[in-house]
Amino acid sequence: MSLRASRRKLPGSPRSSRRNASRVMRSALCAATLLALAVCVEVVAADMNKVVRHVFPAAEEGFDPAAAHDLYSGTVEQAIFETLLTYDYLARPSKLVPLAAQSLPEVSDGGRSYTFRVRPGIYFSPDAAFKGKKRELVAEDYAFSLKRLVDPKIRSPWAWLLEGKIIGLDELAAAAKKSGKFDYDARLPGLEVVDRYTLRIRLKQPDYDLSYVLAHEPTSAVAREVVETYADVGGRVMANPVGTGPYRLANWIRSSKIFLEANPEYRGFTWNFKAGSDPEDARIVAEMKGKMMPQVGRVEISIMEEDQSRLLAFQNGELDLMNLEGPLAPMVMNGASLSGEMRKKGVKLSRFVDPELSYHYWNMTDPVVGGLSKEKIALRRAMAMAYDVDEEIRIVRNGQAIEAQYPIPPGVVGNDPAYRSSVKHDATSANALLDRFGYKKGPDGWRTLPDGKPLVLRYASRPDSLGRQQDEMWKKALDSISIRMEVQKDKFTELLKLEKQCRLQMRTASWIADYPDGDNFMQLLYSKNIFQSNNACATIPEYDKLYEQSIRIPAGPERDRLYHEMARIIETYAPWRLGISRYRNMLIQPRVLGYKKHPILHSEWQYIDVDTTGKGG
Amino acid sequence: MYGYIIRRLWQMIPTLLGVILLVFLLFNWVGGDPAYVLAGKISSAEQIENIRRQLGVDQPYYVQLWIFVKQVLTADFGASWSTNEPVSHIMTTRLGPSLTVLIPYLILSTLVAMGLALAVAYVRGSLTDRAVMIVCTVGLSISILVYIIVFQYVFAYKLGWFPVQGWSDSFGQNLVVYGSLPIIILLVVSIAPDLRLFRTFVLDEINHDYVRTARAKGVSENRIMWVHVLRNASIPIITHVMAQVPGLLIGAFLVERFFSIPGIGREVILAVERSDFPVIKAITVYVAVATMVFTLLADLMYKAVDPRVQLK
Amino acid sequence: MPFDKPQHVISPSLWALAWKRLVASRVAMVSLGIVAAFLMLIALSASGLIAKDWARETGVNYAPPSFLGEDIEQAGQPAAPGGPISASDKPTELPIQDPLADAIADIRGEKKAPGSEAPSGESQTVDPLADVMADIRAKGTQATVAETRASTLPFGADKWGRDVLKKTIKGSETSIFVGLAAAFVATLLGTVFGAVAGYYGRWLDDFFNWFYSVFTAIPYLLLILAVAAVLQQKGTLTIILILGLTGWTGTFRLIRGEYLKHKGREYVQAADAIGASNGRRMFVHIFPNVSHVVLVQLSIYTVAFIKAEVILSFLGFGVPVDVVSWGSMLNEAQNELILGKWWQLAAAGTAMALLVTAFSLFTDELRDALDPKLK
Repeated sequence: MSLRASRRKLPGSPRSSRRNASRVMRSALCAATLLALAVCVEVVAADMNKVVRHVFPAAEEGFDPAAAHDLYSGTVEQAIFETLLTYDYLARPSKLVPLAAQSLPEVSDGGRSYTFRVRPGIYFSPDAAFKGKKRELVAEDYAFSLKRLVDPKIRSPWAWLLEGKIIGLDELAAAAKKSGKFDYDARLPGLEVVDRYTLRIRLKQPDYDLSYVLAHEPTSAVAREVVETYADVGGRVMANPVGTGPYRLANWIRSSKIFLEANPEYRGFTWNFKAGSDPEDARIVAEMKGKMMPQVGRVEISIMEEDQSRLLAFQNGELDLMNLEGPLAPMVMNGASLSGEMRKKGVKLSRFVDPELSYHYWNMTDPVVGGLSKEKIALRRAMAMAYDVDEEIRIVRNGQAIEAQYPIPPGVVGNDPAYRSSVKHDATSANALLDRFGYKKGPDGWRTLPDGKPLVLRYASRPDSLGRQQDEMWKKALDSISIRMEVQKDKFTELLKLEKQCRLQMRTASWIADYPDGDNFMQLLYSKNIFQSNNACATIPEYDKLYEQSIRIPAGPERDRLYHEMARIIETYAPWRLGISRYRNMLIQPRVLGYKKHPILHSEWQYIDVDTTGKGG
Repeated sequence: MYGYIIRRLWQMIPTLLGVILLVFLLFNWVGGDPAYVLAGKISSAEQIENIRRQLGVDQPYYVQLWIFVKQVLTADFGASWSTNEPVSHIMTTRLGPSLTVLIPYLILSTLVAMGLALAVAYVRGSLTDRAVMIVCTVGLSISILVYIIVFQYVFAYKLGWFPVQGWSDSFGQNLVVYGSLPIIILLVVSIAPDLRLFRTFVLDEINHDYVRTARAKGVSENRIMWVHVLRNASIPIITHVMAQVPGLLIGAFLVERFFSIPGIGREVILAVERSDFPVIKAITVYVAVATMVFTLLADLMYKAVDPRVQLK
Repeated sequence: MPFDKPQHVISPSLWALAWKRLVASRVAMVSLGIVAAFLMLIALSASGLIAKDWARETGVNYAPPSFLGEDIEQAGQPAAPGGPISASDKPTELPIQDPLADAIADIRGEKKAPGSEAPSGESQTVDPLADVMADIRAKGTQATVAETRASTLPFGADKWGRDVLKKTIKGSETSIFVGLAAAFVATLLGTVFGAVAGYYGRWLDDFFNWFYSVFTAIPYLLLILAVAAVLQQKGTLTIILILGLTGWTGTFRLIRGEYLKHKGREYVQAADAIGASNGRRMFVHIFPNVSHVVLVQLSIYTVAFIKAEVILSFLGFGVPVDVVSWGSMLNEAQNELILGKWWQLAAAGTAMALLVTAFSLFTDELRDALDPKLK
């Protein structure tokens, strides 16, 4: 086991970090800054006594950007590794800015060619894999890291980010599948390393989302030496993350505790972000402006699965940052703001609508609810009208969500806050519609199909308490239009399999933005994505046509017009009933300075500071 | 004696084979397909097929069964599908925290319940006996979840007597600081059923002839209770406690989750959520083996406590 | 076996004697009374005489119990983000067009959204139901009969406004039925397996013992999860099967022991002499003499399974959505407790604690009555 051998190499405890503190300061002292002109001032960066205690509600998988799949691993990866691009900390809606790249890419050839120049002088944090040599980040590292995403051996859950896009990459993956060995030395026309610092990516077709993909942590740079030293039989490096980012893994007790410490080789930057329209921003800028970053020397992450434990630990001062999830909200929130008790303690709140969408879909290939004939459309639309989103928000979500009017949620490019859906909760009309299309009520009071055959809907949900509430919501909705409903309960894995094979009839799904562009949502109904992400298995020719037009043009009013039409098609053909988008409520202890939850970025530790003068520390 | 042990060990083989077969049936055959979860948000049929090949779940069932048997024989269950952590490493690192809580709990609960059972049996039939039994029955009807939620809120958060949650590297600190409230909760939950059960064991003994004989010979009631009855009643008590150990490893999952103890129970639930079959299968097999070994140990301990017991 | 009791020949009047002892015990009679009252209740609810309309939403959401009065709701409301707050969350919904305007727009085949000047001509026919919808909307604007909902209910309402009292009654029916039926399945399996293994001995005994050790070796929680996954979710019957199929082991051990003991007795040998078949000897001759063990097992299981149903609900394998049980109520109640709506938890919890306590006490008394030497 290669893992077993490598485990020992992790520094044993935070004790070792104090020794590194002075080195961090030195290296950061006159470091070139990322976002502002370098000003060589006496600043003390990355104070090892500044600790941020964070909590995850679920266990992490590991820290290989290509292999780990869950949000929490991604959060840690973002602090350890660096992508070419990232998002501005304060700008809303999210704005791309360069990270390891010197600037945003030059896009040429009508969106087919992207050229990046990697910032020289970025170094990986020291590791035995480099055999004592200082290892600079170069363009080749990104070419290597991108190739890893499609290596069949790694079975990366992120392969779809690049699949079918880069010239030569799919062919390379196909060859590896046959030969069993992925050729990382292959020179691809699509991944051209022009010189030490320049990477040119050539695409099969124009794609305006590639920049977002390259800000997503699976595309972070990993060093080939590290992979070759630590990779397991699956080619993965889950336990030895070595990156160029502001932090490095100091100690790790799997699915329990993760300790990060400032990376001594990190170049640092001066905090210089511009306040947006949010009134909170002014305070944040006042707290942070001009500081040398990162300030926080250590990050301690605990994993606590139970809601009550997290909340009590936060209230007890054992945690500095906590995402307030679902059912707990009423305990400390009063609608949109914190309760009086929390405010008295000085706790701050960072709140916004998550870039996510929940939607109820019907399987468009199902013999009962699918199809584009008028009577099937009428059936689906009647069901869509029978559903009371308002009640879901009030009762199930405790008011911590908004109704989705548009398939693209707030905070994502293409969202139109002014758009209003034509689907409204209206059981009377729904009943009238069913009557009109011959869904007559039988002697038992339930409706039948127009041909007199029994009509029973199968709603699939997970065996947890949210699943049960969704069952109840839909049961009430369908009862109100006299349609009989059964619940299909299954494990998540099984539901996912049936869903991907178009064998479910109806389910509530949700989609969280991978990158803040509307395409990430609009592709969900494109017929070529059936068996992939098109859960409704929908083939609507009008929609497909508009979608194909939309991917050929960059974001802007013209694309928005197409998206508007597509939204209306979703409403009229009703493959979906749009659901809700939830609020994210991040609780912040008073000692934490400059914190604002970013809708796309997962970790903000490098942008914040802690006040060690107060009672905390 | 050795012959007995060898024969008992030999008899474990068919049981283990049964466990292997059942576990295999439950997970590989009807347990669903994890490839779709591992494939990520957007996956193509090709990727699914690739994942299935990497995991080896595309092979015929008999091949998979054979691989599983080999894994059990070599005690090498490979690595977790989602984290790539070797299963052996999972077992060794998660066992310590679990035992840190479970062993003190088992010792305390056995001693306390045994003492109480003797005391209650001493005054059997009295109002005290009845009252204690009724309180126990009421206590039994409350779910462990309620105990955990209330105790954590009241004793850890409101009163601050214990930390709300946590775990450290130091064994002493874990035992005294972090482990104490979980141990107390387990104790409170288990006292009622244990007391009820142990009381019947004790009463069983009190009605035996030897007790009457001892009484007739003028042995003091105290001596009868604490020496004669206790020794004989401890046999079923030991069986009961021993039989509990392996199941508790997993059964303590609620406590482990609420108090952030990185133990086995929490790992099992996590593995079930992730459909991480290598981990679930390994833990199931290990717990099954432990159950068998502990049953044997219990039988051997009868012998030690009561030489009259014949091992057949 | 460690439980080496002196062998008693059980006299035929055992049942009569036991009944006499039961009647003499006040605890036994009170608990029997409570259990009987519950059984009456579920008989009434099963026949549809009471709590038939438990699913109707008769109160406002989370209507408090009547004895608390309505004022508590006013006091409690601001803390919970109920109606008014979610309304303030979505002021943007106000500009929604009049349904009639919508209908007219639909009839004309134009879209309200700024996408109406779409270049392609075909997309004119975007809505295939435009005319129908317009028609329906034109007619369908008459006010629907607004149901008046009670602001308080005898024991409060759940989140949808359903009467907690009725839910509790209906829930008792499900839970007790599940408990009894699963106990019956488990006891039946355990008894039959135990009888066969104990009576025939040899390879049958070996086989069932093997089966027993395999089942007991696998952690119960994993076994339940796995059996639940295999059986899929079909309804109340599934729960009964999950519990019954995994719970038989205890009875098996006891009954096997009893049969081992009894098969050598004179009366069995006598039956053999008069030519009784094996089946007859097992179930007509021996069974009455071990039936007290079975009865005690049955009642122990009933209590255990009523409680296990709660855990199954917690794990998500509870009753279907149109059925209510104590488990499903307690599960809902956990989230409600955070909101300060304690009445559903109190109602279901009290009902369950009462029945379980009464049933367990009765079981204890029953065991004592049937096995007097324990006194």
